[in-house]
Amino acid sequence: MASRPRTDTARPSGLEELELLDRVRARDLHAFERLYRIYQPRLARFLFNLVQRPQLVEEVLDDTMMVVWQTAERFRGTSKLSTWIFAIAYRKALKARIRWPDPVPDEPFDTRVSSDPGPDEQLQHRHLHDALIAAMDQLSADHRAVVDLTYFQGLGYREIAEVMNCPVDTVKTRMFHARRRLKQVISGSLPDWL
Amino acid sequence: MPNPVRPEDAHDEAEELLPWYATGQLDPTDQALVEHHLSTCARCQRQLGLERVLVEEFRSFTPEVDTGWTRLRDRIESPARTRSSVAGIATQIWQALNRPAVATLAIAQLAFVIVSGSILLSLSRPAYQALGTSEAPPAANVLVIFRPDATEADIRGALRGSGASLVGGPTAANAYLLHVPADRRRAALASLRSTGDVQMAEPIDGAGG
Repeated sequence: MASRPRTDTARPSGLEELELLDRVRARDLHAFERLYRIYQPRLARFLFNLVQRPQLVEEVLDDTMMVVWQTAERFRGTSKLSTWIFAIAYRKALKARIRWPDPVPDEPFDTRVSSDPGPDEQLQHRHLHDALIAAMDQLSADHRAVVDLTYFQGLGYREIAEVMNCPVDTVKTRMFHARRRLKQVISGSLPDWL
Repeated sequence: MPNPVRPEDAHDEAEELLPWYATGQLDPTDQALVEHHLSTCARCQRQLGLERVLVEEFRSFTPEVDTGWTRLRDRIESPARTRSSVAGIATQIWQALNRPAVATLAIAQLAFVIVSGSILLSLSRPAYQALGTSEAPPAANVLVIFRPDATEADIRGALRGSGASLVGGPTAANAYLLHVPADRRRAALASLRSTGDVQMAEPIDGAGG
């Protein structure tokens, strides 16, 4: 498959993130802004998959980063910083979902994403992209979270288990069923050579 | 002698791990397991191709970064100022009350305020109760957010169509508080959600909707 230009910027190293967190512990607001800008797109996407309401994404994302700001000294480095932050976001999202239990149809996800593909690639990707979004909508919130944490956020299954506070086998099972569902839905949209 | 791993078990185990193999997130043991199986399983080789498509597609778009930083920075800076000033006042009051003479005076003043307030209240209360006056406004039981491009006429039409009346708003998040009769709320919510002008409509008092 022809690769499409990535719209996200290169992710900083774990070391750079830890250096930022050290400065955040010292109440360095500039360092916290840098950390925020690193995690904001990743958290926005993760949270949208969980709560599916732009207003709630904004609220939960802010709450998550406030916890990071207020409790940075509690991060002991026993896990990756990303795992710690996503775990906070996941817990915040669960609480938000209790308050707003019934999802409502929302504008399609792709209206909120950057769109700068080359014109010669749009048709091929558009179809697959739309099929993927439709397929994701049919998954439960927890299945969507596992898919996003795996494919987009690049977390391992043990890290995902830590984020979601569940056994690793649960993560594997959720991913297995989610993949099966995704493949069913997008099977007609895949390039012929697959 | 340990039981040999059945081929179907090895296949299932490797297949489960393929997403993390595709994203490079397996530890060496898992990676070796998957690679060993991939060398002999055409089905998993095809699955791996699909996994790589999914990874590429999922990573090819990201939400746009909005101006959330300004909002969060304000939240960090403002409450700190508010909390410190409130805390300072509270501390001063507490310290003053801890002085015996001040405490005695404060208790006497508080007693005076309570007694005199009760007398004034009883004198000002009318001896009759009017009928049909001072009815409490209806409580909001629906929260709605209209789409940014909804016009005033659109909003009016949505409210009329649902039988809802406006109780309050817009809030800081541009939400409106509505009241609908309890027995018609489900229908009202459905009506609001069916219009293209409503971004969100939810019950807000804990009851179903």
